[in-house]
Amino acid sequence: MSEQSKDVCDPSSAAEASDSEVNSSPGVPGGLSPPASQAAILAGPETPPLGPTDAPLASPPPQAPSEEGDPKALQQASEEGRAHQAPSVAQPGPAPPAPAQLVQKAHELMWYVLVKDQKRMIIWFPDMVKDVIGSYKKWCRSILRRTSLILARVFGLHLRLTSLHTMEFSLVKALEPEELDRVALSNRMPMTGLLLMILSLIYVKGRGARESAVWNVLRILGLRPWKKHSTFGDVRKLITEEFVQQNYLKYQRVPHAEPPEYEFFWGSRASREITKMQIMEFLARVFKKDPQAWPSRYREALEEARALREADPSAHCPRNSVSED
Amino acid sequence: MTSNHTPAPSHTQGGPRRAGVMTDVHRRFLQLLMTHGVLEEWDVRRLQKHCYRVHDRTAAVEELEDFINNINSVLESLYIEIKKGATEDDGRPVYALVNLATTSVSKMASDFAENELDLFRKALELIIDSETGFASSTNILNLVDQLKGKKMRKKEAEQVLQKFVQNKWLIEKEGEFTLHSRAILEMEQYIRETYPDAVKICNICHSLLIQGQSCETCGIRMHLPCVAKYFQSNSEPRCPHCNDYWPHEIPEVFDPEKEREAATSRATKRSLRSRQH
Repeated sequence: MSEQSKDVCDPSSAAEASDSEVNSSPGVPGGLSPPASQAAILAGPETPPLGPTDAPLASPPPQAPSEEGDPKALQQASEEGRAHQAPSVAQPGPAPPAPAQLVQKAHELMWYVLVKDQKRMIIWFPDMVKDVIGSYKKWCRSILRRTSLILARVFGLHLRLTSLHTMEFSLVKALEPEELDRVALSNRMPMTGLLLMILSLIYVKGRGARESAVWNVLRILGLRPWKKHSTFGDVRKLITEEFVQQNYLKYQRVPHAEPPEYEFFWGSRASREITKMQIMEFLARVFKKDPQAWPSRYREALEEARALREADPSAHCPRNSVSED
Repeated sequence: MTSNHTPAPSHTQGGPRRAGVMTDVHRRFLQLLMTHGVLEEWDVRRLQKHCYRVHDRTAAVEELEDFINNINSVLESLYIEIKKGATEDDGRPVYALVNLATTSVSKMASDFAENELDLFRKALELIIDSETGFASSTNILNLVDQLKGKKMRKKEAEQVLQKFVQNKWLIEKEGEFTLHSRAILEMEQYIRETYPDAVKICNICHSLLIQGQSCETCGIRMHLPCVAKYFQSNSEPRCPHCNDYWPHEIPEVFDPEKEREAATSRATKRSLRSRQH
């Protein structure tokens, strides 16, 4: 047990574990260990792979020289190294919870992650531990592993550690090349329309779009920076803060501009989730023109589509058009 | 990586359970339903068709009810389900993915601060206790001093209430607030457990009732869409409990066909109506 208490809450190894499980056992129904071997996993010595984050631990406190050292000190060391908010140092070897309780925690975590993703909020590992895992911290690796499995099998979603540095997870679709499914119900998702409007402006310009240009475009939709909107609320806050937080947009100061001006760029999440062809189709719909009315942009979009197809030849015929019924 | 027709895992120990088959069609459907939070039935049908188009063009689109029951049989062991409800005012069917295991307003918990959650609870109590199912803005705001957590001013509370409306937890009508059908779907269990005495139940469908009609003699209540269905083409509506004459106007049964015709004949550039969902 002392071995186990060392660093089970290392998010990278937990993520690794969940990923490799998902990849290696496609055919095994359930992929979840039957109770007997589950107990073995809990009771037996687990040797978690030491990820790169262990490097900073190289100078442990003097009381923990070896692996058989005082488990309390080991735990202290790992927790200090991780900067987790551990309110108290656990006593060595509390009884492992019943498998059913771990299963329940995994279900709670699954829902937690789904809701965070639904709200497009950051899934932060320390929050996961604080809000859901709680006193089951020692078993968070197996909980995380089970949650990832469920998410993959039932929802077709991967729980990925997107940034070890910030300890952020995100839910990534495990299915086909990305589609902007939300646009399939576009009448109902005005947020997407707003975002696409801005992204397409940036795309067509070929460089950052100044805030003033963006507001000129939004004026067409009847949106003003000072007016609250019945759906969007505070539009300025939405586009300069929320969309930025969600990594759909970047909002940066224009260098050397006097008086200070800001401009928008595509965010990393937009680049991941939205293809240029989708932007072209959006433009075509909005302006009722053929996408080839923007010839150089259309060419770029074709290029990107080809590159994506080549990168993933096993994909079904890529559906670039997001049509209504 | 995962094969297309993976049998659903059995999460409990031992033997085979009756479980549906999850394909990528179902997975995508679940993903998108989760993304949207709550959807009306015709959106759900569109969504279903979209998922078939993406993953399995050749397959016949399964009847929606069976499709959903199939998915729910897989979700059962996870304590979540796709729940079907109806808007209380005009009976439009709505669907949401809900967590059956929670017995608190935990779904909202990650979005809102402690005092905001408490404001919601206060509003919820007023709504449940009210005769009409609506709580006035004034009455809610008067409780601002009693909130847990950081002190909240009335101005701030007004904005928080608007946030609830935007997130589809509350509906506002002429300065009064009631529960959005999403909130009813997701929190019915919590509400029934937390306010067992104050809660109103529909005499027909036995679900939670916030807005509805009531018999003036014996006091039983019915949802408007339940009234519509129960008294459909009945020229002399009588209370199912005490047989007294039913004194209220009988609403129309919700007809999805009529609704679609009306929708297409309206101008396309329609900005958002405050339709109850």
